[in-house]
Amino acid sequence: MDTLSILLMGFISIVVVNNLVFTKFLGICPYLGVSGRIDMAFGMGLAVTFVVTLSGTLTWLIDHLLLIGTSLEVTRYICFILVIAGAVQLVEMYLRKFFPSLYESFGIFLPLITTNCAILGLCLLISLEGINSLLEAVVLSFGAGIGFTMAICIMAGIRENLDLADVPDCLKGAPITLITAGLLAMAFMGFAGMIR
Amino acid sequence: MTNSNAKTSRYGQTLLAGLWRENPVFRLLLGMCPTLAVTAAVKPALTMGCCVIFVLLCSNIIVSLMRNLLKPHLRILMFTLTIATFVTIADLFLKAFVPRMSEMLGPYVPLIIVNCIIICRAEACASKNPMLVSVIDALSMGVGFTVTLCFLAGIRELLSTGKIFEAQLMPDAFVPWAAMSMPVGAFITLGLMLGLVNIVAGKKA
Amino acid sequence: MNKIKNFIQQSWLLIVASFCFGLLIAVTNAALSPRIRQNEINKRNRLVSALLPEAKDFILLDEQIEIQSLQGKKNIEIYRAVSEADECVGWSFEAAGSGFADKIRLVVALDKNFEKIAGFDVLSSNETPGFGDQIKYDYYRDQFKGAPAGELKLVTIGERDKIDSEIVVISGATISSEAVVEILNNSITQVKEQMRKKGIIGNDKQ
Repeated sequence: MDTLSILLMGFISIVVVNNLVFTKFLGICPYLGVSGRIDMAFGMGLAVTFVVTLSGTLTWLIDHLLLIGTSLEVTRYICFILVIAGAVQLVEMYLRKFFPSLYESFGIFLPLITTNCAILGLCLLISLEGINSLLEAVVLSFGAGIGFTMAICIMAGIRENLDLADVPDCLKGAPITLITAGLLAMAFMGFAGMIR
Repeated sequence: MTNSNAKTSRYGQTLLAGLWRENPVFRLLLGMCPTLAVTAAVKPALTMGCCVIFVLLCSNIIVSLMRNLLKPHLRILMFTLTIATFVTIADLFLKAFVPRMSEMLGPYVPLIIVNCIIICRAEACASKNPMLVSVIDALSMGVGFTVTLCFLAGIRELLSTGKIFEAQLMPDAFVPWAAMSMPVGAFITLGLMLGLVNIVAGKKA
Repeated sequence: MNKIKNFIQQSWLLIVASFCFGLLIAVTNAALSPRIRQNEINKRNRLVSALLPEAKDFILLDEQIEIQSLQGKKNIEIYRAVSEADECVGWSFEAAGSGFADKIRLVVALDKNFEKIAGFDVLSSNETPGFGDQIKYDYYRDQFKGAPAGELKLVTIGERDKIDSEIVVISGATISSEAVVEILNNSITQVKEQMRKKGIIGNDKQ
């Protein structure tokens, strides 16, 4: 029961209270790039969720089993980025072989995920926070993916409607997206204090 | 003579491109994540800018030296490895000489690895051009990034605390806007700045 | 055989570069790591020295102390602060818990018998600037200096200058002030109990 409540709190905290996009600014690039249409945004979110769960777990394992034991923490960043690149490659190959239709629909997103800061950022956060149970690391990374998906989908929904709105010329495109993100971030601040 | 003139002007153009025409933040929309995260105050923004210049310079030099040896399918892997190495070195230097800043920047220093500016410059410039051009390009992009970062940070720090670098600039009656140092301030300031840049660029064209 | 040759042809650059980069990092790390470690020690010492002015050195305790909080079980490192005459003048450790927006990490200092809190300082927090942020301010922190190391109580109205187990809340930041009190209560009572069990510190009556 105790572990369960810790896990649940961690999950809610990373999904809404400490949402990676709105409080830590991670994953802004794809957020601006692909949040134009809601189905594309959802696809991207799912792909990121999958990769982030996989790489969050793998980097935790590598960090705890390999690096800390041999005091090679200095090579942490290199290991993390290689794991992420590898995980993305793996997912790409797996999808191409077994789910060609899904692979087609993800298209260009898959290789782009490697340079998504949300993923490396989450792996670093896990190691910085000193999370020391595997289960917690898995739940946190999955929650981060869900949080990202949620943020990007909300944004895509707003942007679809924004196309119909009368936005000043100079603010069209990225600027209005950023301002909307600011308002959303303000809304998400309301969740602070929820987790005790 | 004309040849060398053309060459110099090309270098000059590369140098200036990063500051305005191809400014990484305002015009190319690259490297947004650190731009938003570290601009709550000028000091961390400056530190971040210096780190990016260092990493960009080193990775551009290395990539440009190796450009004829690179295998196309291993190219990105090679870039990432190079960048990750120099980021680790930069991080160690920060931890050793400015521990305060290193703590403040936290995970955003290692996140330089996935900063699109660096990999984009390695791909677009350094892997095609000789070393000198790559170095100039790195400097111009890096300085452009740093200046933009400091500019944004200056606005946010001034509005959120009324001070820049500990120097009180606002009159005493000024009530600090705490929101400017929070994520909200970052998003909205950058959005308005981009709008402003669009107006200025539109007038010029 | 051909396969191996092909493999090496494709990847020799990668292998050579990895080796060079590895060497580069190793050299930098070897050159800088003593300094980095010193910086970390200095930082903690600077914070704790402000709370325990008599302390000249801090020695890590060998015994394992484990505390249970909402975040789960965690081992914490306890430091014994010793004066110039090599006498124990106090104890310090790090404690953490969830605040309003994010984790709050504190460094706590106590006197040598674990009877009074010598003070605390904030290592890292992400509280709302202007509101919860005030847990870092002296007017709030000074209430803890000399307060009894037991159950602290948070009150909305009271005198800030009076040093007792009542802590006056920061107006507009109840959750942040509560979080600090909770972290202190939780960590201090547990550490105290375990230290007593292990015979490192005496009982109150002594």
